[in-house]
Amino acid sequence: MTNRWGYPDLGFGVGLRSVHFQHILQNNPAIDWFEVLSENYMDTGGRPLHVLDQVAERYPVVLHGVSLSVGSTDPVNFEYLKKLKALARRVKARWVSDHLCWCGVTGLNTHDLLPMPYTHQALRHTIERVRIIQDFLERPIALENASTYLEFAASTWPESEFLASLAEAADCGILLDVNNVYVSSYNHGFDPQAYIDRIPRDRVVQMHLAGHTNKGTHIIDTHNDYVIDTVWKLYRYAHRRLGGVATLLEWDANIPGFDVVHGEALKARQFREQEDAAMKTPELAEVPAYGD
Amino acid sequence: MATDPGLERIQRWMQACILDQGTAEEAIASEKAQAAIPAEQARSVVLPSKTLSALERLDIYRDMYLLRMEEALSIDYPSLKHFLGPDEFMRLVTRYVEMYPSRSYTLNRLGDHLPEFVATRDDLPRKEFCHDLARLEYALTCVFDAAETPPLAAEAVRALPQEAWEHARLKPIEAFRLLDFSYPVSRYVGAVDEENPFPRLARKKTWVAAYRSNYNLHRMDLAEPAYGLLSALASGKTLGEAIVSTLTRKWRPAVKQAQLFEWFRDWMAEGFFQSVELAGDRS
Repeated sequence: MTNRWGYPDLGFGVGLRSVHFQHILQNNPAIDWFEVLSENYMDTGGRPLHVLDQVAERYPVVLHGVSLSVGSTDPVNFEYLKKLKALARRVKARWVSDHLCWCGVTGLNTHDLLPMPYTHQALRHTIERVRIIQDFLERPIALENASTYLEFAASTWPESEFLASLAEAADCGILLDVNNVYVSSYNHGFDPQAYIDRIPRDRVVQMHLAGHTNKGTHIIDTHNDYVIDTVWKLYRYAHRRLGGVATLLEWDANIPGFDVVHGEALKARQFREQEDAAMKTPELAEVPAYGD
Repeated sequence: MATDPGLERIQRWMQACILDQGTAEEAIASEKAQAAIPAEQARSVVLPSKTLSALERLDIYRDMYLLRMEEALSIDYPSLKHFLGPDEFMRLVTRYVEMYPSRSYTLNRLGDHLPEFVATRDDLPRKEFCHDLARLEYALTCVFDAAETPPLAAEAVRALPQEAWEHARLKPIEAFRLLDFSYPVSRYVGAVDEENPFPRLARKKTWVAAYRSNYNLHRMDLAEPAYGLLSALASGKTLGEAIVSTLTRKWRPAVKQAQLFEWFRDWMAEGFFQSVELAGDRS
């Protein structure tokens, strides 16, 4: 299943992190693609950009930002967009993504992916901003469902419907973070499968997987560990619903060696293959449902 | 259905609560938070979960904010953190981000005001040493991110006739900073990086070049006259002017011609300069 823009299924990638620079440049690991945190390369002329240039010559690269602040009521930051556009051109980014969130207002940046109230006003506001951003970048963007730890009383609809409506109205893509679906479902008590069911499949250009930290009362999206089994099951469910989508493993704290991170990403291939095989065998197709 | 304060007020309120450093109760009662949503309404802005109250859920974001700021500043100021220890450093970060919250899309710029902030903190142990340390670590972050400018090629140096050097201007690479200190902070940074033993923290004038070579950060300890000469060159003086304005005054007896050649040989080898041009030739 391809998305409406024809963005390719790049296979199984990992985030480009500085602790792996040397390994990657020396060993040219057989990995399908890299995702790059845009802001880490936008204002530097030093080693990170030098490494990225070399990586981009060897592998497909996707840009993933954390400061687009698409839901903020501050004015759109065109200086930021200008640098993002230049970087995307420089590395021939296959696509550009960020989050459905806001990061700050009144000129400040909390550097967090803060939750939106899911209201009609917020939807209209965000649609307008996404259109402005895409016009400036001259390409569709993909927005990721962030992990959230609170819900606003003002919200009138579920996040999944808000995201789906936003994507349809603003004509943007979706980066479905399967771990974030699970984290938010745990924190807010919703059905993660139902969340995925509401996502329009032709708008999903990428999926994310990551580890997290369960505090008992809530889960924090820490990207510091292996993906848990329940999230793998949810990934299989998402694959069944959405088809082959470029998949990225995030590991941002307590980062192990490159081969460990890559190995975790490659588990996604196994789960996809298992799911594809199961789909061809009806009696097996029932097995991997989430929660089994 | 709950009242909707509107997107802008919700965002201003939540940000005010996150940036406030009191308890969640104090945060929702703060002037900035109440300017968006009055405290009596604030408790109903966020829904409780099965396990957490509304304010406990807000606290998750509030707690993560300071940890994120501390982590970012720890990356840029590891030696300052080493000297102060984790608790004192966290107290410094807490006060710093209150005065200088991030206004950039990148955390790389969060620490830009830390040296000047440290200079105002009379409660810090050994404030002047901390200030020097912060200045050096800030310079290193600037050098790390500076635009890459290829160093002067040996051919360009050889191409200049010997008699022309007096009128030559040597322009430093972008990733180059000169600093003077009252304490041996470069050796302290080196000790944290396990390059050398920790120095005595007694006052001692030191001069340092912070620079990037082959995309790696370096520090070079300088003698005072070498620092003076490099500063003159960096300010745009010709080599002849730089030598006259520095070496012929105070250090003439101390700096022999051989020493001068040795310095330039080292500076060229380390790639301190990006171009050489003759006075009047600004093409």
